[in-house]
Amino acid sequence: MSGVPVRKGVVLIMLLLPVLASAHGIDSADQALLDRGGLLSYIWVGAKHMLTGFDHLLFLAGVIFYLKGFRDILLFITIFTLGHCITLIGATYMQIRADEHLVDACIALSVVYKGFENLGGFDKLLKTGSPNLLRMVFIFGLLHGLGLSTRLQSFDLGSDQFLSKILSFNVGVELGQVVALVPIVLLIRVWQKKPSYDAFYRAANFYLVIAGVGLFAYQLYGYLNTQ
Amino acid sequence: MTRKILLALAFVLLCSHDMYLKPVSYFLEPGTESRIALFNGTFEKSENVIARSRMQDVSLVGNGRRTALDSTQWREQDSVTILNFTSGEPGTWVAGVSTLPRNIEMAAEDFNAYLEHDGILDMLKERRNAGTLGEDAVERYSKHVKTIFQVGEALSADWNHELGYPLEFIPMENPYDIHPGHRLQVRLLRDGSPLADQLVYVGARAASHTHEDGGEVHSDEADTGAHTHEAGGEEHTHGPGEEVHSHSGDGSEGHQHDGIRSLRTDSEGLVTLDIDAAGVWYLRTIHLVDSPEEGLTHESNWATLTFAIGEGHSHSHGDADSAHTHEDEGIPAYLLWIGSLLILGILFFFFNRRKR
Repeated sequence: MSGVPVRKGVVLIMLLLPVLASAHGIDSADQALLDRGGLLSYIWVGAKHMLTGFDHLLFLAGVIFYLKGFRDILLFITIFTLGHCITLIGATYMQIRADEHLVDACIALSVVYKGFENLGGFDKLLKTGSPNLLRMVFIFGLLHGLGLSTRLQSFDLGSDQFLSKILSFNVGVELGQVVALVPIVLLIRVWQKKPSYDAFYRAANFYLVIAGVGLFAYQLYGYLNTQ
Repeated sequence: MTRKILLALAFVLLCSHDMYLKPVSYFLEPGTESRIALFNGTFEKSENVIARSRMQDVSLVGNGRRTALDSTQWREQDSVTILNFTSGEPGTWVAGVSTLPRNIEMAAEDFNAYLEHDGILDMLKERRNAGTLGEDAVERYSKHVKTIFQVGEALSADWNHELGYPLEFIPMENPYDIHPGHRLQVRLLRDGSPLADQLVYVGARAASHTHEDGGEVHSDEADTGAHTHEAGGEEHTHGPGEEVHSHSGDGSEGHQHDGIRSLRTDSEGLVTLDIDAAGVWYLRTIHLVDSPEEGLTHESNWATLTFAIGEGHSHSHGDADSAHTHEDEGIPAYLLWIGSLLILGILFFFFNRRKR
């Protein structure tokens, strides 16, 4: 695990920790910011939400692990972005709101799915090929967008510039996604050249499965306790 | 004719314009920016904003101090007047707003409808008994509203602070120190003295995971709070502790606890609330009496109080919509990340070692 790139990666993660340590949810300070800050504040809050959205980041990391080149990454991220834009904008505009525990539980399952697929679970355990990844990423993109929409609708958006606010939040989400992707892609790409990459790959994807199951159980517990 | 139209318009404007202070969250962290919405309409939906010039007093009470807030801290968003503020030190806080009196003229039938609509049944009965149902009215009214919210974990003694408003609710216990299953007594004061035999309406919105926003501006929910007397002319009785009727399911999102309850203050000005659910609770009353002042027939003072009841653990999950916002929800992010790095590290060393 030694080596300059790996150390840089660890340092990068440590540097990001203070940012990541902020709450994933929506708080009064965010609402106050949105009340006063205009459309720019929606961009900021959208970006912040993506950067602190543990489940979104885990899923993205899982997708990146599976891909080989930048062209693939660009294609899959574009499809994922398209998916979550559709539901984020559509559901928020039409004020369709799902139970956030259930949506987050499904998002957690998307994390499990990606880790399981990356570990070859479909071949090894289910003795079948994995479903078309591009299609699955699009479907999961729709799901993540619904989660983002549910969060956005937790805010008091007001009626002025309603669509512009949704679009600004969406722009923020995309910017946050780019900012989150850069260190993830760099870390994976740099580590790919190391002899320890195989261990890292397996560890990271096992972790995705564990984390996804944990998040799923947590959200389900939350759902059952609010019924 | 013009006068009749104006009177009808005035009646529509006045009707159901209860005033409530609704914090965006009833559970705040110390030193965070937040806001309190001033609703003028019903508990569910604000119909219009309140001019700053009408605000005779705006106070925040916490940590043993009462602070007067100036008009620059208010702003308007759609039909809601909003107070931005930064929460102070941990403790139970009180916010209050009292408005200057205004006069309104009403034709007899509009006045009677308003009395019935807003649950001022004693005056309606008095007019009926006295044979004065046909008399027009000129009413002077003013509104005095309070909210109690919790900052941080520590409870403090400000929850029963008397703001000195003409009509004011004072709880006998700190709402943030009790839980569902408790009975909470609230005293109603008129000019500082207990007001006996006064009708008080109590509503609640049960805590759920969806969001009870104090600042919800665009609620499409059906009005569930103040319209206790317009269910298609249905007759209601209003004995103490008696359920009036419930609007649950009439288009609301299911937050409605169990309708509006009608209570009557005892000889010590006390009403007793059976706190049977966590969530946001509110009380409203209108004290309307004959006025001896020339040019007036009646004078009314309106009072409301809002607060939240937690689940029995610190920081119930907001909504408020709740008392429900997300700010205290979930696993602390730093724990999540430290735990994740730890698991990842262990797994990495395990697989790396096995490979060798």
